[in-house]
Amino acid sequence: MVDPHDRSDRFELIAASEAATLARFANEVLEDDPPLSVRQEPRPQLLMQRVEEPVERRPFNLGEVLVTPAEVDLAGHRGFAMVPGKAERAALSGAIVDAAVAADHERTPAIVSALEDAAARQREQRQRAWAESKHTAVEFETMEDQQ
Amino acid sequence: MGYVAVTAGEEIIERAADLFEKQRLAGDSEGLDVDQLDDQLGRLTAQAMSEGGLYAPRLAALAVKQAQGDTVEAAFLLRAYRSTLERFDETPAVDPSEMIATRRVSPAFKDVPGGQILGATKDYTQRLLDFDLVDGESADPTEDWDLADEGDPERLTTVTELLRSEGLLHEPDEPDVDDPTDTTRESVTHPPERDAVLQELARGETGAVTALGYSALRGYGQVHPTLAEVRVGRLPVRIEHPYTGDEVTVTHADVTESEAVVPVYEKREDPQFAFGYGLTFGRNERKAIGMTVLDASIQLDGDDEPAENAEFVLDTIDGMDSFGFIEHLKLPHYVTFQSILDRIRAIRERGGTAEAGRDDPADDESADRQPIAEASDND
Repeated sequence: MVDPHDRSDRFELIAASEAATLARFANEVLEDDPPLSVRQEPRPQLLMQRVEEPVERRPFNLGEVLVTPAEVDLAGHRGFAMVPGKAERAALSGAIVDAAVAADHERTPAIVSALEDAAARQREQRQRAWAESKHTAVEFETMEDQQ
Repeated sequence: MGYVAVTAGEEIIERAADLFEKQRLAGDSEGLDVDQLDDQLGRLTAQAMSEGGLYAPRLAALAVKQAQGDTVEAAFLLRAYRSTLERFDETPAVDPSEMIATRRVSPAFKDVPGGQILGATKDYTQRLLDFDLVDGESADPTEDWDLADEGDPERLTTVTELLRSEGLLHEPDEPDVDDPTDTTRESVTHPPERDAVLQELARGETGAVTALGYSALRGYGQVHPTLAEVRVGRLPVRIEHPYTGDEVTVTHADVTESEAVVPVYEKREDPQFAFGYGLTFGRNERKAIGMTVLDASIQLDGDDEPAENAEFVLDTIDGMDSFGFIEHLKLPHYVTFQSILDRIRAIRERGGTAEAGRDDPADDESADRQPIAEASDND
């Protein structure tokens, strides 16, 4: 079970959240004009995806993945987020949301609830996709009886 | 005719580009939305991503739209874009067995653990045009499926693991590379390391990878593999969290994987299997299988067959290289061609064939013997 209060879990949930949801919470957190400094501007960057070839177990570079990281300091609490693709607004919003939860901001319960929803939605989508795939699993019938 | 320097206005080039843009907008239909391309033409965007070496589905859709469906041009646009970006980091090497598979078939083992999961495919149906699509979209045919609760996706045992458990596949030594070659940052040298081969094959042009892989099957090579399995699914993309140090998942990348068993046991004292491996971004089984054949072929390190020659394969499969070289031929070569003309005229005048040759070019034997032009890097 993922825990939005855990920094690593929260990172994954923020990365899986809708940009609009993150932006809404970031705006709410910034409504009181807390001290905010952007430690890392949200700019698209690359992650080189490494994979271990399964026979020799030799790592190789498959290719790069586009991500957008961002880091902020919100009233003395740091926040870091990285979202897939070119998504500057989502990354900056995500970093603010991460810092807000770390600072136990008053919006934390609502944020945690939204992140839990994101986790549930993500799990549901995975289970649905898996169930659909399993629905196409082949059941072989031996033809011995027909001979 | 002497050398004449020419110039042409930028305005003309802009007009030509405008005309190209007009083609995209031609007709009475609605303009294509990037979301539509992303959602509905996943094979095209996958090809652009895989050949561009950049996993970015939405930007790939944009690139396909901008390139009017030319996948190599779209891959070029993605590579050009990536060249402007910093690299955040390399990910920890992920084990492909972690893949959340949506499709897995094993032509080698009927009863592969986890089963044969066909997934989304029309592989086993007739290829007939569906005229119903002309007038719109039909309803979701899976809408009424009565799906069993299968819980969370299972990790599927790979055929590699199966063979290894039976001792039919050697237990590898610890890999001697922690930091694999990165061909986006250093040129490939020959003979190449296998990690460089895999990276180059993974971003090779689909048609070229398919064609060269096919050449081995057609008899220009010794590899005629049995596919151990083909899998389509999603691989986690992870980083080390800067605060906690934990490995955390940023996203999942759609990939296609293929493994082939290659019967080269007669060449070895210890009769075990040799393998070929293919992995590429997006859904592209044809390319992954072609990559597998080429990986296995290159490991044979032969000189006689094209697919076994790493230098030949890697020099020809990159779409950006071949695209650039082939398409540059249509750009102005006025000076080059003028030089060729001067050379031929001089040769003909020295041989006294200048006048006679005009009447009967077939008499000019020297033209048959000497190449008059070769493409080169200095062209």
